[in-house]
Amino acid sequence: MEKKPLLEVKNLKTYFYTEDGIVKAVDGVDFEVYPGETLGIVGESGSGKSVTSLSIMRLLDPNGEIVEGSEIIFEGKNLLELSEDEMRKIRGNDIAMIFQEPMVALNPVFTIGEQIMEAILLHQDVSKSEARKMAIEMLKKVGIPEPEKRVDEYPHELSGGMRQRAMIAMALSCRPKLLIADEPTTALDVTIQAQILELMRELQKEYGMAIILITHDVGVIAENADRVVVMYGGMVMETANVHELFKEMRHPYTWGLLNSLPRLDIEQERLYNIPGIVPDPLHFPPGCRFNTRCEFADEKCRKEIPPLYEVNKDHFSRCFYYQKVEEAQKLKKAGESA
Amino acid sequence: MSEKKVLVRVENLVKYFPIRAGVFKRIVAWVRAVDDVSFDIYEGETVGLVGESGCGKTTVGMTLLRLYEPTSGRIIVDNEDTTYYFMPKIKAKKYLKNTYIKKFKNEDPETFTFIDKKYYDLYKELGESGFYSKLLSDLPEKRSEFRKTMQIVFQDPYSSLNPRIRIKTIVSEGPVLHKVIKKSEVIEKVKAALEEVGIHGDHMYRFPHQFSGGQRQRIGIARALLMNPKLIVADEAVAALDVSIRSQVINLMLDLQEKHNLTYLFISHDLSVIKYISDRVIVMYLGKIVENAPKKVLFDDPLHPYTKALMSAIPVPNPDYKKKRIILTGDVPSPVNPPTGCRFHPRCPVAKEICSKEEPQLREIQPGHFVACHFPGSLK
Repeated sequence: MEKKPLLEVKNLKTYFYTEDGIVKAVDGVDFEVYPGETLGIVGESGSGKSVTSLSIMRLLDPNGEIVEGSEIIFEGKNLLELSEDEMRKIRGNDIAMIFQEPMVALNPVFTIGEQIMEAILLHQDVSKSEARKMAIEMLKKVGIPEPEKRVDEYPHELSGGMRQRAMIAMALSCRPKLLIADEPTTALDVTIQAQILELMRELQKEYGMAIILITHDVGVIAENADRVVVMYGGMVMETANVHELFKEMRHPYTWGLLNSLPRLDIEQERLYNIPGIVPDPLHFPPGCRFNTRCEFADEKCRKEIPPLYEVNKDHFSRCFYYQKVEEAQKLKKAGESA
Repeated sequence: MSEKKVLVRVENLVKYFPIRAGVFKRIVAWVRAVDDVSFDIYEGETVGLVGESGCGKTTVGMTLLRLYEPTSGRIIVDNEDTTYYFMPKIKAKKYLKNTYIKKFKNEDPETFTFIDKKYYDLYKELGESGFYSKLLSDLPEKRSEFRKTMQIVFQDPYSSLNPRIRIKTIVSEGPVLHKVIKKSEVIEKVKAALEEVGIHGDHMYRFPHQFSGGQRQRIGIARALLMNPKLIVADEAVAALDVSIRSQVINLMLDLQEKHNLTYLFISHDLSVIKYISDRVIVMYLGKIVENAPKKVLFDDPLHPYTKALMSAIPVPNPDYKKKRIILTGDVPSPVNPPTGCRFHPRCPVAKEICSKEEPQLREIQPGHFVACHFPGSLK
């Protein structure tokens, strides 16, 4: 990997100041995105995956704040040092985002066409009629039937899958270098989800953009990501290439997560349980964020936050006992083959 | 196989919802949520009911529990026709007349099914008016009995528990009303029920907001369990939960099933959960059953093109797993105006001319394997 990263997130900390106290939603997250690749960020509710993406776009709620010392470097520029005007030029143009719920993300009082044209007119020097042509072209590209007619329809006139396609058309209308997709298919049925993911793969190939795919669905990650970041409690627990992560995980949380999934591809006797509950971000335990639910946790884990160990080339795990996970895995494999 | 007892038999169940419009709220159209659906649930098994949004799977569950009244069809529980239980008396009498008396007067008793025969014997013994008064005499008791037999666990653990009342009351309200437990033993029984689902007994004095999603779902299960039911309908019971919590609740439900000999109707959109938990799987599309088979048969050899496409659409958490992608085109049509013929034909990759004209019936292709398709197994 001699390639230069497109986006580098360094020590990102995003805190929310609420009446009940400080919510450390993202607490020291590092990762890179390389041009043309798909980075999957996977985590459960409260893991900080969505806040990470909103921090990159600088679209946080007013009570949220990116703590000093955090860096988000996009093509050599630290986005956190840009003025709001400069940021607006990047947003929608170089970095675009699609959201989970297209009905909420689209404006109900404007037609689909007007909303796509808005982004085009803002970032490109074209006339209104040219922008309209480009909008129709985009709608065609994302597989919306009769785009000349649909361009004048309002969001409520489209089905869920069509709305998500319209969102993608809008996001890609300026050919961004980076697309952030936050749970893009969670609200959709599986057969429609398959259509949308297929569409995203095709468009990525055509445009060569990088994608950050944020989801709770490990299956979607396995089929679409090149590299994976596993988040828990506002921190990165493990990072690796997708093939290595699913075969050679080195963090107890990843291990538990992958073994607690019901699966179509193998027969299962009984699902693994991660004991306990997902921690409340107001009251994270001291030390490793996962220590209350981890079977390997000891005194050290309850006091110190483990660093990210490089357990293999480009494979990092935030666990003092990553070797124990390796042993547990070998035992499980031996048990399976016996 | 023949020794297994049928706990619930659903025959030709139909549920239409009216769409009203205009000043006089006239009915302008019908949503055909469930359209002629038949299946059996055997005692002690888990039936998985799977389908996409709008296929009618939740309506089947709700109609089965009589939270909706069926438009037509028959629901038999424990060899009793329960269809008329929740009707007003006059309607119930009309139902009995149309369903049984007409048949008894016109048809040959030799051709009757087991259930019909049972009611025929009663009719022979008591005559027509005796038949009505016998069956309609104790409707309140029958309703109570029905509620004790069948319970439900809802999808959303946040809206299915009343935020203003304590867990103790939430869990014990039904059982006390139906006299399953006495008022004097509420504390003791609620404590036992909560501990059985992994919640500390002393937490019964708390309010729902003091629990996490997974814990609330456990409380919902305790509430259903305390009625001592035979069947629990779990409607997307784990869909709202995080992955690590989901497996806890699934395992809990399986343990409880073994312990109490429960029967589950497990409704879900997630085929991988269905595969893990079910003994038999029913696949629905747009108000119809398209396939119904034992789990292993269905997953090894799905015969309906929709089942196949659905399976191939589920993302598998294994990047090295090679599978054939079948990507369906188009959206699920509206159940207000379902397509003619086979309802799947506009999206079906192997549809032929007949599919748009003639509706395929649910046929038993192999013992226990039912498919509604003109060309089963043709999608490779």
